[in-house]
Amino acid sequence: MSALPLDRDPEMGHGSAFGSYVALDEATIARDARRKVRQRRMLVWLARVAMLVLIVGGWQLLTSIKIVDPFFWGRPSGIVRQLNDWVRHGTAYGSIWLQIWITMKEAVLGFGVGVVTGIVAGVLLGQVRFLAEVFSPYIKVMNAIPRIVLGSLFTVALGLGVSSKVALASVLVFFVVFFNAFQGVREVDRNFVANARVLGASRLAVTRHVVLPSALTWIIASLHVAFGLAIIGAIVGEFLGAQKGLGLVIATAQNNFNPDGVFGAMFIIAILTLTAEGLIGLLERRLLSWRPRSQIEVGVV
Amino acid sequence: MASTFAKRRRLAHRTREDSTDAGRAAHIELNAVTKRFVTPSGSAFTALRDVDLVIEPGKFCAVVGPTGCGKSTTLTMVAGLDRPSGGVVRVGGEPVDGITPGISFMFQVDALLPWKTVLSNVALGPVFRGVPKRVAQARARDWLRRVGLAGFEDHHPHQLSGGMRKRASLAAALINEPSILLMDEPFGALDVQTKAIMSNELLGLWEQTKPSVIFVTHDLEEAIALADQVVVMTAGPGTVKAVYDVDLPRPRGAVQEIRFEPRFVELLHQIWESLREEVEHAYSRSAAVAGPGEERS
Repeated sequence: MSALPLDRDPEMGHGSAFGSYVALDEATIARDARRKVRQRRMLVWLARVAMLVLIVGGWQLLTSIKIVDPFFWGRPSGIVRQLNDWVRHGTAYGSIWLQIWITMKEAVLGFGVGVVTGIVAGVLLGQVRFLAEVFSPYIKVMNAIPRIVLGSLFTVALGLGVSSKVALASVLVFFVVFFNAFQGVREVDRNFVANARVLGASRLAVTRHVVLPSALTWIIASLHVAFGLAIIGAIVGEFLGAQKGLGLVIATAQNNFNPDGVFGAMFIIAILTLTAEGLIGLLERRLLSWRPRSQIEVGVV
Repeated sequence: MASTFAKRRRLAHRTREDSTDAGRAAHIELNAVTKRFVTPSGSAFTALRDVDLVIEPGKFCAVVGPTGCGKSTTLTMVAGLDRPSGGVVRVGGEPVDGITPGISFMFQVDALLPWKTVLSNVALGPVFRGVPKRVAQARARDWLRRVGLAGFEDHHPHQLSGGMRKRASLAAALINEPSILLMDEPFGALDVQTKAIMSNELLGLWEQTKPSVIFVTHDLEEAIALADQVVVMTAGPGTVKAVYDVDLPRPRGAVQEIRFEPRFVELLHQIWESLREEVEHAYSRSAAVAGPGEERS
């Protein structure tokens, strides 16, 4: 355990290379630190690009030399061709944009219905203990059911149109949002509630000014997962029976032994989900702007 | 149907009372108050036993006692946040039923809502009582100025220092012009200097409107420096052991300096004698529980 000279700090980078007698001034240290951060960021991006090249290039190569059979697993060039074909000539059910629009409409509507009902139910049950006790076994049972199977019911009952997919998406979304809202309400600081009541707040005012904003951190955290589930609900719903939509496009590609089509649609869905994620992130930053900065950044990462 | 009507009438009653009682101090009386809690395992635990206490209107009453003697419980029952298991709490002659009107509460951990600005936090009291938002905010602005927080209206609580948050809490508590101010170790978490400044601030503001105050604290010097009467409570189950009148003249001036007055020192000795027994009693009891383990390590 020998004591290190003070400026031999490994964090200081090049400074220590000149030996322990070099005294570094603040500006040099700051410049050094900035350069290190920049270098690191560059390295991460380079590694990311390298990884993409490796995966896509490897895929293409392996399918070219027939180690992997492109008939089953598709190939990147085929996916690009397929996407190009969809954009230029449309799918069997109309233009690709129409399919995207239909699927997004189903997902967004389902998301909206699920989020609103989830928040209302969560806040209600979180505040009224009696209701929570009555409902809790049923909610547990509902949560244990593989809810995606409900899609079959909805398709039969609500038909091949948009409504059956909205129903499936909203059921999937509901439970995630509900559990988070419920937990969020349970975690509200008792002091805040007591203080508001002493100041003369009605039950409704306590909910509006104290309980809801406090639970919002929890609720918003659930929205990221919830939107992914809404898309899954819409796609699976279309799989089970539809006249339009990306899910139907995927099902058709499957039936035609066209893996490039499946991958192409997957790629489109990924872009849509990422866009929605970004929007939810913006909403989060706006609604939770009162939080200290570091906390927000940790939340985003 | 009938219950809604009764509720509405009670509300009407409350607002009428508010408008006439605003700022006027109220008489507080605890009569043989007992509070028992039932633990999750089903056994009962007595926090308070037969507490008798009278606080005259406009008096500043400090309550001291060992940890866990039910000081905070007393406050929640005066506020109407909790009900006694036995006995009765009367405020202004009326038995407490539901939230006591005209009351403000300052907690040990400040209850400022982190998602609201300082201005909105202070304006909450009037807003909850149906005052239009613009009027409430104007009043909040005025109160922030009075506690020395002008210019911090749009900050969020986490951007303020501990002392500033206490000032904001104080403004939020006083803006409703309460007839009773309940304080549960409000300055307990502050450093000594900030605590002294806040105590002076509190005395200055209290002398303007003179609500009845119950101030719970661990700090006997703080209690004597601030209060008209100091209540010593016994180790749990808590009950009133003795009440001492503090006859130091008002206005008291700086709390740091009053500590050197001979009369202050005399009172401190006298009350400490009484408090020490209880503190030692409570400590020996907690040491008996935690003791063997501590000694081994």
